[in-house]
Amino acid sequence: MKDVVREIVSIVADVAGLDEEEVTLDARLVDDLDIDSVKAIEIAVAVEKRFGVRVKDEDLPNLTTVGDIINLTETLVRELEDEKVGV
Amino acid sequence: MRRSGYEYDVVVVGAGIGGLVCGTYLAKQGMKVLVLEQHFKPGGYCTSFRRGPFHFDAAAHSFGSYREDGNMRYVMRELGLEGKCNIKKYDPCDRIILPDGEVSFYAEVDRTVDEICTLFPDEHTGIKALFGFLINSKPVESAALRRVTLLELFNRYFVNKKVETLFALPVLGNGALPPSLISAFTGTKILREFILDGGYYPDGSMQHLPDTLIRHLKQYGGEVSFRSLVRRIMVKDGKVWGVRLDSKDVITTRYVVWNADVRQLFLHVLPRKWLKRETVERVKSLKPSLSTFILYLGIGEPPPALPEPGTNIWFLPYYDLERAYRYACSGEINRVEGFMVRISPDKKTILAFVNAPYKTPAYWRQNKERLMNDFIDRIDRNVIPGLKNHILHKEAATPFTLYRYTLNHRGAAYGWASTPSQLFTPEVRQRGPVDGLYLTGHWTAQTQGIPGVAYMGLDTARMILKRENRKL
Ligand SMILES: Cc1cc2nc3c(=O)[nH]c(=O)nc-3n(C[C@H](O)[C@H](O)[C@H](O)COP(=O)(O)OP(=O)(O)OC[C@H]3O[C@@H](n4cnc5c(N)ncnc54)[C@H](O)[C@@H]3O)c2cc1C
Repeated sequence: MKDVVREIVSIVADVAGLDEEEVTLDARLVDDLDIDSVKAIEIAVAVEKRFGVRVKDEDLPNLTTVGDIINLTETLVRELEDEKVGV
Repeated sequence: MRRSGYEYDVVVVGAGIGGLVCGTYLAKQGMKVLVLEQHFKPGGYCTSFRRGPFHFDAAAHSFGSYREDGNMRYVMRELGLEGKCNIKKYDPCDRIILPDGEVSFYAEVDRTVDEICTLFPDEHTGIKALFGFLINSKPVESAALRRVTLLELFNRYFVNKKVETLFALPVLGNGALPPSLISAFTGTKILREFILDGGYYPDGSMQHLPDTLIRHLKQYGGEVSFRSLVRRIMVKDGKVWGVRLDSKDVITTRYVVWNADVRQLFLHVLPRKWLKRETVERVKSLKPSLSTFILYLGIGEPPPALPEPGTNIWFLPYYDLERAYRYACSGEINRVEGFMVRISPDKKTILAFVNAPYKTPAYWRQNKERLMNDFIDRIDRNVIPGLKNHILHKEAATPFTLYRYTLNHRGAAYGWASTPSQLFTPEVRQRGPVDGLYLTGHWTAQTQGIPGVAYMGLDTARMILKRENRKL
């Protein structure tokens, strides 16, 4: 799942207009990275497009840090893989 | 902040509202800014022109979101421009005429709700709930709207298709897509920003808005050059270093903000070497929004039944918007019976438009005159009786005209078509594919309309400033 970490950091950096080094896992989306609601949606769409997953709307307000996005994405990717092998 | 070796800190390509807001804010913050515009005046789709005694707005003819906490007001305040451009609100901002009656959108929302509920009494619960959602929903709630269409959202509120049409008609006009195709995110944004808080107009003409921005850009030390078409963005080691103009002149800069058609950027202006093949393919596959056919009329003594000036009047003789859209796509304008018409605040001119496809320049050369006369007939018959006898000047802009003046791909009125699958397309986000390049304006697949591009222009400027502060 190293790939997920790298990809999420790159997506968040691109959307926020920051360098990847500045996007640490404990960075807070709103307070540290200036991610407003529109940018939050942009990130959600980018994650969905990149990983082919579906971010649930009720999960969005609970995402506070970059780490939260990574955790959620990892869960979603795992669910998707399980589905594929028919678990 | 200027670094030696470069002529400018930032070159902004395109003096549309997005680029002007971005450039003016950066100049205000002390950066050395040059705005390059291929046309001979600023504004893009927000310009005006004169014919004898008549002043016409070319495309955009009012804007929204200028209430106390509206986005447009916020941008003007951040630029130090609040009060610098005499902005008036026309009330009602919009009026919808449907076969069963008409409804106006007033500044006083309760009055609008009453009018709609009187026309559709069985739907009053849904009508009130939709207004409640539009006015009170938290921004994060609109996240849920990114993958549904406006039609899917409306189905949660209404049973009667007619009410849907009432709300979807101005969305078709301002978003160029019917409810079955437009994302609910964009559809509700149009209703909230354009319709519930619309009708603002810079005293005199829309041109005052870009002119005011240019004036302040210069006061803050920024420069602008017209008739300057950018052909190439120069990149070295993955980083922007300059632009080359049609004239072959090269201008060096550390940042480029692209406020123009993004297809042009990815297919012609950026050296291919710096682009991934998938990115180019993706951009090629994106669909632009429909264009418009615009009618401009200069009137002498106003006809007796002249509607109130400054109000956008939307007319549709039936309820099937999908049908209206299909006709617009086919370009049989004499059969597209829906349109928008607006009397200018000075009561001397009329602007009207219908959604229209690009077709070919030859098609428009052959059909323009006939379509113009058909259009006048329709307005005369349905909205302004007697209009025909009061016209002193008439002319029209076709989708090709829109393309020619702005280079917007296929004369697209609102950038990319805002369908759920195209909304927020990552390939065309603000941070460009090479270092130092930023995209802004209505081709970024997330916003359109004057308040939208103005807000994004400011946001793009802030991204660059953040970058600068880090480097220092
Ligand atoms: C008929 C019509 C009516 C509308 N009505 C309204 C309305 O009432 N209210 C509202 O809010 N919105 C309205 N809109 C939408 C609104 O006008 C646009 O969303 C907005 O103006 C877009 O601004 P922009 O800065 O993104 O781009 P544009 O206005 O398209 O500006 C892009 C600029 O870039 C320049 N350019 C392009 N290529 C180059 C190049 N290579 N080198 C140099 N310069 C270049 C162009 O000449 C142009 O000036 C309307 C649009 C249309 C078509």
